[in-house]
Amino acid sequence: MSERLAFDSELYSLSAVEAAAAAYAELASIAVAREGDAVVVTFAPKGDQADLLDHFSNHVLSLTIQDRVTKAGEVSP
Amino acid sequence: MTDADPGDLVSLEYTIDRRSITFDIDEEIYPRDATYGAAYLFVDRCFMFLSRPSAGTVRVRLRSRDAEPTEAALETLAGEFANELLNQVMRQRIGESTAKIREYYMARAFFGGHSNATIDDLLAELDREELEEAPLDIPVPWKDGAKGEPEQSVEKAPE
Repeated sequence: MSERLAFDSELYSLSAVEAAAAAYAELASIAVAREGDAVVVTFAPKGDQADLLDHFSNHVLSLTIQDRVTKAGEVSP
Repeated sequence: MTDADPGDLVSLEYTIDRRSITFDIDEEIYPRDATYGAAYLFVDRCFMFLSRPSAGTVRVRLRSRDAEPTEAALETLAGEFANELLNQVMRQRIGESTAKIREYYMARAFFGGHSNATIDDLLAELDREELEEAPLDIPVPWKDGAKGEPEQSVEKAPE
């Protein structure tokens, strides 16, 4: 059974969603699509591991924050 | 001053369901970097999801990793998150207010009086400073190489 989760594109980076989707590819079937202001993820776990979607959204949030910190530290030429 | 009920000023309004607690953050009061800073520290403690119910507002949902959390535990989680949020705001403000002086010290460190010093000079200076404060006068391990000739150790073998 699949679930849909909409990540607001102001709060989450698309690259973070894509990277998390790649990291979780063995655990779930994941489709990423842009819908208006959101990046919508359709998530279908392959096993019965509890809270997998929650782990996935934490992963996206961590990567988003790391992206933001990296970009803040970049010096423009 | 406003006539607002003091209770309204100190309350964190939230909604609770079986495993999660949800509340809104005003981005004018708590900049987004503060929210991210707090979120990053809480990512190990609970499941988090951010959404935007309206412009200038971030909705935070904290979901317990415990399958059957008590309401008190969820309230504590939200309260600790709110405290961390304030901490992050303060860190950010202090960082901004001391940015100039940090830049000054960095510039001085890189381009100040030691601009022509070699690594050996700097190590020798460190040795001098350390030995001035060291009552036992024990040579540091890298000193022999830096000077080019070995020095005698002041340590005595146990008898």
